Order: sequence, then structure tokens, then C-alpha cells
Amino acid sequence: MAATRAESRAREIFTTLEYGPVPESHACVLAWLDTQDRCLGHYVDGKWLKPEHRDSLPCQDPVTGEHLASCLQAQPEDVAAAAEAARTALESWSGLPGASRAQHLTRLAKMIQKHQRLLWTLESLVTGRAVREVRDRDIPLALQLLQYHAIQAHSQEEALAGWEPMGVVGLILPPTFSLLEMMWRICPALAVGCTVVVLVPPASPTPLLLAQLAGELGPFPGILNVLSGPTSLVPVLAGQPGVQKVAFCGSVEGGLRLLVQESVWEETMRRLQARMERLRGGRGLDGAVDMGTRGAAARDLAQHYVREAQSQGAQVFQAGDVPSDSPFFPPTLVSDLPPAAPGTQAEVPWPVVVASPFRTAKEALAMANGTPRGGSASVWSERLGQALELGYGLQVGTVWVNAHGLRDPAVPTGGCRESGSSRHGGLDGLYEYLRPSGTPARLPYRSENLNYETFGLAVPSTLPAGPETGPSPAPPYGLFVAGRFQAPGARSSRPIQDSQGKLHGYVAEGGAKDVRGAVEAAHQAAPGWVGQSPGARAALLWALAAALERREPTLALRLERHGVEPKAAKAEVKLSVRRLRDWGARAQAQNHSLQVAELRGPVLRLREPLGVLGVVCPDERPLLAFMSLLAPTLALGNTVVLVPSRTCPIPALDVCQDMATLLPAGVVNVVTGDQDHLARCLALHQDVQALWYFGSAQGSQFSEWASAGNLKPVWVSRGCPRAWEQEAAGAGPELELRAARTKALWLPMGD
Amino acid sequence: MSARNPGTELDLSWISKVQVNQPAVLRRAEQIQARRTVKKEWQAAWLLKAVTFIDLTTLSGDDTYSNVKRLCYKAKYPIREDLLKALNMHDKGITTAAVCVYPARVSDAVKALKASGCDIPVASVATGFPSGQTHLKTRLEEIKLAVEDGATEIDVVINRTLVLTGQWEALYDEIRQFRKACGTAHLKTILATGELGSLTNVYKASMIAMMAGSDFIKTSTGKETVNATFPVAIVMLRAIRDFFWKTGNKIGFKPAGGIRTAKDSLAWLSLVKEELGDEWLKPELFRIGASALLLDIERQIYHHVTGRYAAYRDLPMS
Repeated sequence: MAATRAESRAREIFTTLEYGPVPESHACVLAWLDTQDRCLGHYVDGKWLKPEHRDSLPCQDPVTGEHLASCLQAQPEDVAAAAEAARTALESWSGLPGASRAQHLTRLAKMIQKHQRLLWTLESLVTGRAVREVRDRDIPLALQLLQYHAIQAHSQEEALAGWEPMGVVGLILPPTFSLLEMMWRICPALAVGCTVVVLVPPASPTPLLLAQLAGELGPFPGILNVLSGPTSLVPVLAGQPGVQKVAFCGSVEGGLRLLVQESVWEETMRRLQARMERLRGGRGLDGAVDMGTRGAAARDLAQHYVREAQSQGAQVFQAGDVPSDSPFFPPTLVSDLPPAAPGTQAEVPWPVVVASPFRTAKEALAMANGTPRGGSASVWSERLGQALELGYGLQVGTVWVNAHGLRDPAVPTGGCRESGSSRHGGLDGLYEYLRPSGTPARLPYRSENLNYETFGLAVPSTLPAGPETGPSPAPPYGLFVAGRFQAPGARSSRPIQDSQGKLHGYVAEGGAKDVRGAVEAAHQAAPGWVGQSPGARAALLWALAAALERREPTLALRLERHGVEPKAAKAEVKLSVRRLRDWGARAQAQNHSLQVAELRGPVLRLREPLGVLGVVCPDERPLLAFMSLLAPTLALGNTVVLVPSRTCPIPALDVCQDMATLLPAGVVNVVTGDQDHLARCLALHQDVQALWYFGSAQGSQFSEWASAGNLKPVWVSRGCPRAWEQEAAGAGPELELRAARTKALWLPMGD
Repeated sequence: MSARNPGTELDLSWISKVQVNQPAVLRRAEQIQARRTVKKEWQAAWLLKAVTFIDLTTLSGDDTYSNVKRLCYKAKYPIREDLLKALNMHDKGITTAAVCVYPARVSDAVKALKASGCDIPVASVATGFPSGQTHLKTRLEEIKLAVEDGATEIDVVINRTLVLTGQWEALYDEIRQFRKACGTAHLKTILATGELGSLTNVYKASMIAMMAGSDFIKTSTGKETVNATFPVAIVMLRAIRDFFWKTGNKIGFKPAGGIRTAKDSLAWLSLVKEELGDEWLKPELFRIGASALLLDIERQIYHHVTGRYAAYRDLPMS
């Protein structure tokens, strides 16, 4: 019989009909921690690694403060041990047939399934997130991810012929991350044959548990290694021999920005507030809460943001059944934030929503695209035409129409601008961990002496170098910008010598102002070029190909003067013509639709141009490399600023004469001059959306460093020449992948 | 029952622009079921509360005085006395909200309830239940006869033909006439949502029924292939909220058909709590049309009190 206290409780609840606590026990977590004597080390090569004399940090329940365990912090030698284990495992793992890797991943999925309660309880306990979210969404999706990538591994030999695994991948997790975000990255890496070293922030036991589950499967213990340590170890990990890629993992979704049409503003706010009032917050391990906590630091961040917004005159609405003490924070709706207030551009912290009104769909699009971030967005409209217009127009990696937050392993998720350009999921995600077969491995060597401040800053002065000689026609002179040849801002020129050291001609000496002008011209041409149908773009590329064909004798002569055999020169022109035709044909077949489990209706995988591309062409194969790089960027709808070959820029300028008559002005801009200087100008330009640099190792290093300013995707050659005449290197899928970004557009159906 | 809904003039602008987003409604329906549970004393108290919302129903061709009488007795004593005592709830006067029968059995129910000396209302289905496919004149007469026999609540079915062909004025007029025929009896309008074709139609029919003066809107007859579902309920509850925001009148909600387990009933309570709030959680504004549900609730209470699962013979049948 129930106790007396409970009886009276029932009477009271019968009247109030309040909710009660639905606690989930965390006994299983404590039992697991006990197996490690409440001291967690690192999980490396299938074993717990607990080196002596290391600092340790406590892992606590963020709500009660209960001490759960102490976590050892890694030192550089621990990182070396983990990288060594991953390197050793790589030999056997990457050599396996895809089908065998697929089996192993399936076994890992089964293993996780068997221990899922431990996994979800641990994740919810230490992160404070609602257990329901982890149990009903994260764990099933983690299993789907393993299953999907097992299938990809199974068919790897046929589907991904010509590609090989990069090698050891380092993964850096941010302080607030979820197990799921980690799974999005390790599943494709493992599937294609890479091995992984994960550096997790202090006191994050879930990845360690996952590594243990994977390690206990044998016989490939070293494929997943997890270290716990500070971010100061990132360069140490990146510098380990064999580490080919370091990936950063995004943190869990933050607050949101909400744009509401003015005509429905009042109604929407009313409904939103009514809904917020019913939200329940509390301890993550309560089965009936909508939101948990993300710890005291996240609370302080939200608190600070809301106070700041209030002081700037914003309206703040808070509601919901949420404990008032730290680390909890109620769901908060901020509106009327003045457009010029500092908070308008800042990232909105969780659990805050900032709402602003707009008048027209066009204005909404401008507002949404006018932020530095571009991860995901949802569009809510019952008008299909309007929803699609917005869905296509938003510059983000994922758009959900009339839905939010859906994910599926088969759908690539990426971002634009500051949200990063890497992709996860789908086939696109696999390529993040692959490289074309035969590409040299990335060397850990980086020049310590490169001076980022001065690299390419000054242009060496050029002087008259004698009369121009050789057969006519004389090479065209000028920078090809906005559809015509223009004099360079510096009003000076550089001599180009032929293979005998004789003067072939002068080219214009381009500088910062010229690059600025070229980028501007490219931006002006961009909307028109994107707006062309792929068919129209293909027709123009084919017309350009025909023009190039007519120019073959001149172009071949130019190449011959630079030491190319007559036969090879002819072949290079012919192949350049073919590149244009091939990419013209490929412009047609870019988008396709996917079918996924979580949704009735299609998901469109759209390939969208990056915008304005900066391309620095290599010295080798001056005409063919120029065309091989130009053709895919145009075919996929980008506009471009190119710096042609340093030693032999004249054939590219010849082609510009045809582009002047055939292509819309500004779609292609060619700037000659000092390569280092021009690369510097492009890399430091915030409004260039991607940079391809085929030149010296130093220039590559500089380009990577400088491009971090606006997180533009950058592709560099590190001083290695490329076999442009070969199909894989000169016209392979790598170019196509890099010349456009993928957007997933989710279209739920139902009436 | 609460104050009557006087209804409003027909205003088609309330429904003309509405478009229900079906995938989003489905997701919300999934969420509510997964996110709200109650355990232990909370569960026991909620289940007892659920009992007070039940319209204990028998709608069979073979209904006779004896089983209607048994139903009425069960309505008065829905949970075994000793179980209520153990929970200290025996003095709360827990009965079901009403009994619900066919028009021809109304007098039997009224007689049986009078004999046992209690004032539980009798509800009668009417207007050509369950299909509604009879002449309007017959349907109106049916209401009047049921009221004459002592029914104080009339569960009418709407004319689905009018919904499917978009004749909203005609639907409004019919329900208006039902309302008039009811006199003082309360009008509960069954939308038969399983036969309306889309959630948008469910919203529109709900709004028309409320404008025409229904005191309750009810999901289904229990005789369609699809009965009370969460997505449909969300749409109806949002319509009730919109009507309340526009007019200040609170309209009741009654899901019916397919609600058989104690767990289901808890989900329905939390759905109403989430969408409309606590003020709707009273028999005047919330009913559950069910027959087998009560027995399962009693079994759960038995388990809560004794720690054992009951055999069916341990509990009296209805």
C-alpha cells in the first residue's frame, strides 16, 4: 500500500494536475566509472592509457555538482602515442577491402545498440542535455550513420575508384559538442579507410566510452583513439607525422534568428509566446523536460546577451517552467533589437531567439544572407513558389521548408561563409577524407620562417628589357577586366621571356587596385551568370571552344616559343578545347534528389556556385592548366579572377580576346603580374569566396593562412606540379567538388 | 456543464486563408507523446482525473436495458471503493462525466441512473449516427425525441458531404438548426475527421461548428476506419484556441474512438494541457469517449495500490 504522504500527494495532484519528476537513474554510469576507479585517462590503441604525473580535471554533474570522475589531461607525448597507434592501424585498416570495413562498422553499430542506455545516460548526465533528445534522436541517428557509411564502404572500390584514404585524421572537438557531431565526422573517415585521433576538451567522457566500445571489438583497436586535453595540443596533433588532415567539429546548435513578415508579426509573436509558456526545463535526466541545461558558462553567456539587448532597448520575453537557479536559463524571445545594436550581428546564444520583422520576401532574403554565418535555415510558408524562391536564395548549407532540424546520413550538410565549407554526410562527406590516388601526401613540414606580414607585399620593379621580337601577331596587352583590356593601375609592365631568354612581350603589372577592380567586376557579373541556365552556360563554353580551335595555330606557336615541342603544343591546344566542351556538357547534370527515412518527400541536393573565385594558375602547362581550371568554375556558375602562368601568360591573354566577344563582361577577369603579390591580394580580399593557388609551397602556406580571415575554402598545390593532361588530375571530380558547394533542400510533403 | 456557446455570425474570413501544415503537425504530435510522461502518484492522480472525463459509452446494435443499466452502475462506481480508499480519494465523488447511448436507449439510461440516485448526465448520439446520411428533417426530429427522453447532451454527426464539397454556409445552417433543436441540452458536434480528407478541412469544419454554436467538438464517431488521432486533435485544439482568442468563448473537446489504454488517456490529458492549458482540464470542457478504457485505468490503479497486476476477474465489468 502506498505511504500516507503519497496518498495526500495524490489528492493534491488530482486538483492541480501538475507534472511530476520522471527521473532516469544514472547508476549504470557510476558503475562504468567505477571500473576505471573514477579516473579516466585516454583510450589509445584499444587500451586505457593512464600515464603518471599528469594534471587532472574533475568531471561533474552540471546540475548537482556531484563529482563523477577525474580526467587526466594529455601531454604532447600522449598525442604522439595516439598518432603512432593510428598510423600503425592505418596500414591494415586502409588495406582492407571495403566490404570488410563495412562489416566492422556494422559490428560497431551492434555494439553501440547493446550498450545504448549507458551511452545516452552518460551523455545526458555530463552535458546536461535532455535525455529524451539524446535517446530518441542522437543514438538512433548515430546508428544510422554507422549503417549508411558501412554501405558506402561496401561499394567503395567501384563507386570511389581513383580515390584513396587521406591517412590519419585528427579531429578537434569544441567545449560544447555532442556525441552526434563527432559521429558525423568519424563515420565517413573510418568508412573510407582513414584512422582517427580525437582530441576532446577536458572532462568529456562520452567519446572515451565510444572509443572503448570500438576498441573492445578487436581486431583493429587503433582506428579510433581518444585523448582528453587542452586546445594547446592542436598544433602538436597537426604536426604529428602521418596526420593528413585536422578537422574541427562544430558545436551544438546555438540560439536562433527569426524573421517574421510584418503582416503576421503580432499573430506569430502571440502564438510563439503561448508555445514558450508550455516549455519545461530541468535536469537532463528527467524524461519529461523539453530542454536541459548546457552548463553554467552557457547560462552566463545567455544572461549577458539578454541584459545587453535589454540595455539597448530590446523587448525581452521569458517564459516556461524552468528552475530559476543556475545553470538553468529560461527560453527567451528578444524582439525590437535596433538594427545597429552590437547584438544584431553577434551570434545568438542558446536558448535565445531574436525575432525581427520584414516586409517582403526579398527583404527577408537580404537580411538572412547579410550575416557572416551560413549553416542552416528553415523557411515557413504555405506558398510553394515563395518557399522555393527563398530556399534557393538562402546562402546556407541546409534549408528545411516547413520543418526544422531534420538530419539524415544520406543528406550532405555543410555551410557557407563562417559556418565552414566542409561537408558531412552523403557522398560529399566521403570526399572530405579522400584524395585522388597518387597525390603526394601532405608533409607536416611548414616553414617557420615565412613572414606573413611581408609575403608578396612588394612588387619587384621591372625595367625595359629590349625590343619585342618574334613572329606576329603581337600579344595583346593589358589586364582583362570587365570584358576589356585595361591599363594597369601601376602603369608599369613586366617582360616575358621565351625559352631562349629573348623578350616575348610585355604584360601589364597588376596590383592590389586591379585585383579589387577585377573582383568588383566579377561580382557585378555574378547574378547574371548564375541566372543563366546550365544549357546556356554550356552553349557559351562550346562557343569559346570553337573560337579556341580557330586560334590553334597562334596558340601553338606561342607555346613553341616557350620550349614546347610542336606536336605537344598542338596536343595541348586540342586538349584545352576538349576541357571546355567536357565541362560544358557536365554543367547540365548537377542537381539530384534524395529519398530519406525521416521525411515523406524529397531532399534536393543542389550544387550552387561559390560566387567569385580567385585562381592562381601554375607555371606548368600554361594553356591547358588555365583552361582546366577555368572551365569547371564557369560551368558551375562561378565568376572568376585568374592569374595566368607566371612564366607564360600570353596564351591566356590571347584567349581573352575571344572571351571579350563571347562571354558577358566580368564573368572572366585575367590579371597578370607578380604571382605572390596577386595571390596575397586575392587571399586577403574578404569578398572572394574561394581561392585556388597552384604555385610555390610558401605561397600555398601564405594563402591558407590569409584565407582564414573569412574562412574561404582554399585549395593549394604546395609547390607540387600536377598532371593536367591526365583525366583524373585535369578534369576529375575533384575540380567539380571544389568549384561548387552543396545545398540540401528538404521538401516535406503531406496534406 | 459550463455556460452555453451562443455561437457567432458566420464569418468565412476565419477559415478562408487557413492552411494546415500537415508534416509539422505530425512532428508535433510525435513530440508530445514522447516528451510528457507522469509516474507514480502523479500517474495515479492523473488516471483518476481521466476517469472523470470519460463519456462511458455503449453504441451497439445489441444494447438492451440490462447492459445499459450495468453501464450506468459502472459510471457511478468507476473504480473499486477499496482502491479509492487506499489512495484517500473515496470522498472525491469520482464518477465518469456522462454515459453515452443511442437515442432509443436514452430512456433506459435515464431510468437506471435515477434508480441508483445519481445525476450523471445522459448523452445521446443523434442525426443519423454514424453516417449522417438521412434527411435533415429526420435528423432534427431525432434530436428532439432524444431530448424529450431526458438526454441533456446530444452528440450530433455533421454532414460530411457539405465539408467535402466546400458548402460551408450550408454546414453552418444545419448545425445552427441542430443547436436550436437541442433546446437546453448541450450540443456536441462530431466532425468524423477520418472522413474529411485533410487537416485543413478538419480546421475549417471545427471553426464552422463552433461559430454555429457547438458546445463541444468531437473527433469521431468511433465507427470510421480512422478515429481519434493526435494530429487531428492538435488541429482541433488549435481551432478551439483561435475561437477563444477571437470570441472569448471556451469550447470543449472530445476525442472518441480507439482510446483503450490508461497510457493513451494520459497522453490525451497532457495534449490538452499543452495545447490549451489547465483551464480546459475539467469535465465541462474535456471528455473522452470510451468504453474499454475505464477497465484498463482501474487495472493501473490496482497495480499502483497493490503492486500487483490485476486479473480481469478482480475488477467488476461494465
